[in-house]
Amino acid sequence: MAESQLKQQTNENKPNRMKSGLNWLWSDYSVVIAFIIIFIAASIMSSRFLDIGNLMNILMQVSIIGIIALGMTVIMLSGGIDLSVGSVLALVGVVTVTALNATGSVVLAVISALVAGPLIGLLNGLMIAKGRIAAFIATLGMMAGARSIALYIADGGSISGEVQEFSLISNSELGIVDYPIIIFLAMTAFVYILMHNTRFGRYVYAIGSNEKSARLSAINVEKMKLAIYSLGGLMVSVAAIIETSRLNSISSSSSGQLYELDAIAAVIIGGTRMTGGRGKIIGTFFGVLILGILNNMMNLMNVSPHLQGFVKGLIIIIAVVFQKRE
Amino acid sequence: MAYLEMQNIDKSFNQVQVLKDVSLELEQGEIHALLGENGAGKSTLMNILGGVHQPDRGVITVSGQKVEMTSPKISQDQGISFIHQELNLVSDLRVYENMFLGSEIRNRFGFVDVNEMCRQTEEILTKLGVHINPKEYVRNLGTSYKQLIEISRALLHKSRIIIMDEPTTALSEHEVDRLFELMRNLKEDGISIIYISHKLKEVKAVCDRLTVLRDGKVVKTGDLKEESLDSITQYMVGKSLSEDRIIDEENFGETILKVEELTMPGVYKDIHFQIKKGEIVGFTGLAGDGRTELFESLFGYRKDYKGQVYVNGKLVNINHPKKALRAGIGYVPKDRKENAIIQDMNVVQNMSISSLNHFERKGFLRGKLEHNRFQEYKDKLNIKAHNPKATIDQLSGGNQQKVIIAKWLELNTDIIIFDNPTQGIDVGAKQEIYQHIIGLAKQGKAVIVLSSEAPEIMKICHSVYVMYQGEIAGYFKGEDTTEDKIMSYATGSKKEAVTVG
Repeated sequence: MAESQLKQQTNENKPNRMKSGLNWLWSDYSVVIAFIIIFIAASIMSSRFLDIGNLMNILMQVSIIGIIALGMTVIMLSGGIDLSVGSVLALVGVVTVTALNATGSVVLAVISALVAGPLIGLLNGLMIAKGRIAAFIATLGMMAGARSIALYIADGGSISGEVQEFSLISNSELGIVDYPIIIFLAMTAFVYILMHNTRFGRYVYAIGSNEKSARLSAINVEKMKLAIYSLGGLMVSVAAIIETSRLNSISSSSSGQLYELDAIAAVIIGGTRMTGGRGKIIGTFFGVLILGILNNMMNLMNVSPHLQGFVKGLIIIIAVVFQKRE
Repeated sequence: MAYLEMQNIDKSFNQVQVLKDVSLELEQGEIHALLGENGAGKSTLMNILGGVHQPDRGVITVSGQKVEMTSPKISQDQGISFIHQELNLVSDLRVYENMFLGSEIRNRFGFVDVNEMCRQTEEILTKLGVHINPKEYVRNLGTSYKQLIEISRALLHKSRIIIMDEPTTALSEHEVDRLFELMRNLKEDGISIIYISHKLKEVKAVCDRLTVLRDGKVVKTGDLKEESLDSITQYMVGKSLSEDRIIDEENFGETILKVEELTMPGVYKDIHFQIKKGEIVGFTGLAGDGRTELFESLFGYRKDYKGQVYVNGKLVNINHPKKALRAGIGYVPKDRKENAIIQDMNVVQNMSISSLNHFERKGFLRGKLEHNRFQEYKDKLNIKAHNPKATIDQLSGGNQQKVIIAKWLELNTDIIIFDNPTQGIDVGAKQEIYQHIIGLAKQGKAVIVLSSEAPEIMKICHSVYVMYQGEIAGYFKGEDTTEDKIMSYATGSKKEAVTVG
């Protein structure tokens, strides 16, 4: 009896499920489809695009923004935003090089970077969760503040590391894959698991979707926000280590400029909703790749660098228009 | 022929038929009571008249002419005004600005003509017998005055039909009298009023005719004079009147929750009560009586309160829902959409969100465990969800509520608070939810039910507290409770010193 009932039910559901399956594919993975289209278009338009060296180059170029965008995704999924990532990257970079030169130890430099970022993130979180300041305002303040402190420490210029081993982090490779790419992929896997297989991730979605319900579901929303912004800071730390290690130096004035916009763009292209609650880490991953391919394509095709911002802006707006359609 | 006729209206939402062949006739210059329990279809019918919803079938005629109410604008143009229970005024604008919102008078230079608008506002308000400065901000006015402004706005737009949805809930007795006098004056002027209310005495006092809806069907329409309060109640509730109380046995354990001198300035004060294991206690009152805030405080959602709370004889300090949970207090909030469900998450995730540690192994969530547990609740609570992976907002209200109940069953707290548990739920699902609440009490849990629906409270509670303006105004044993008693305490016309515990 139960079995026949079950059978009937599955039969009834079949066409429905097929349809919802397609919908599901489209709504969850439209960014993957867009990626494939852009990838194919790029390989047709430029013969050099598919060159393995070029592909690795793209991955290498997006790794820093990519890691920042992972943290930004978590923050935006919770309904917040972090405008300070670019400035914090510069400040963490300055702190890292200063620590490196003071101690002469690469390990201590990396540790101080990994402490500085989450601390600044925690400060953002405190302003937002305890001070009840809108995330946009709090991190806007942090954006100005962190940049200013970085400029102050470095006296407005660049500072260079005096320990050569530090530059090995960004300038070594495993086979043909550069370390930054490996770090980016590892961070993607880490944040993916965090968001999809742990309590933390579930709470982030809940808070972004309906903060009041989340609180009434006995989630400690304030504590979660501290953790979320600290995680964002940690991601910035990792990105700062890569950025600094590349040339073994950091510029307090120009490093990290406008990184927040690229990171937010990647998150939005990846399908995460501005108001939170809906979106995926995988989406951001492909969003980052799309931005990377576009940059690469425009370079290969000799598009004026002054026009590249226009194309990027267009893509972001198109992405959001598509999201609205759903 | 009647001034307004709605004939053979059918309406369904998501394959649930809400209105079945409903007809309503409204004469010119009459006050017509539209009665029925919550969920009987009154609001749907009025929303169809107001152009908010379109009927699946049926015709509406105004003074003999067929009208298609395809939008609220068309309805307004036909001279129909809807005064909602929640008043529709912009509190940061002045009285005259609210009166003319969307239809401002402009002078020949295109600027708003403040003097003219003030003059007209004053004229209408004087006609209604009130004196309010047209330049006063609406937020500074009392509720009854706000209501008057809504009515004035209806008159300003030359409305011939005014729909009033529970206009007296927030009014004092004196203000109610004034409103009724006003309604009689409007009637003299040939304006027709559809009056929706649960307060039958008021209906009897002011209305001429009545139409009673039950489960989406008209069960009675006719002259009010021939009806008694009892016969009207009879129409509204149907046969179920005799089998009202569905709980009788009392098998209480020791006191589990004791509350003393709980006070939150301006919201509630000096609350004392206690509850035993296995007991179902009801809290009722009018909107704004402070009961929701009281229990949000007990659950730790609100912090600025004073007083003592004892759980199992131990003093607890609850300042966050997490602590409430640890103390063994669960809370199913009202306004499901805003407070309980997480729209973007699927059905299973909504069930498990508060108890994720039950589904973790080595720090990672196991979807399979969640899913299996959900299947158990699905069978136990009869949750109709074809696809547990679908987002929760695709379920009907009743099934959403069951998922939320499952969430708290999983947490298995000794005390569980239900705030308005059957809000926006159809009759069948209501009964099921009552059964689950009673089942929890039988398991030895202490259950608190907050509801503004007196019949609901009377049906399932062992004892009832009635609140009025933040204070406990009355206490009854369940079997002694009557709707009249509750009403007289809830409206503040009676008050007693409660000495319990």
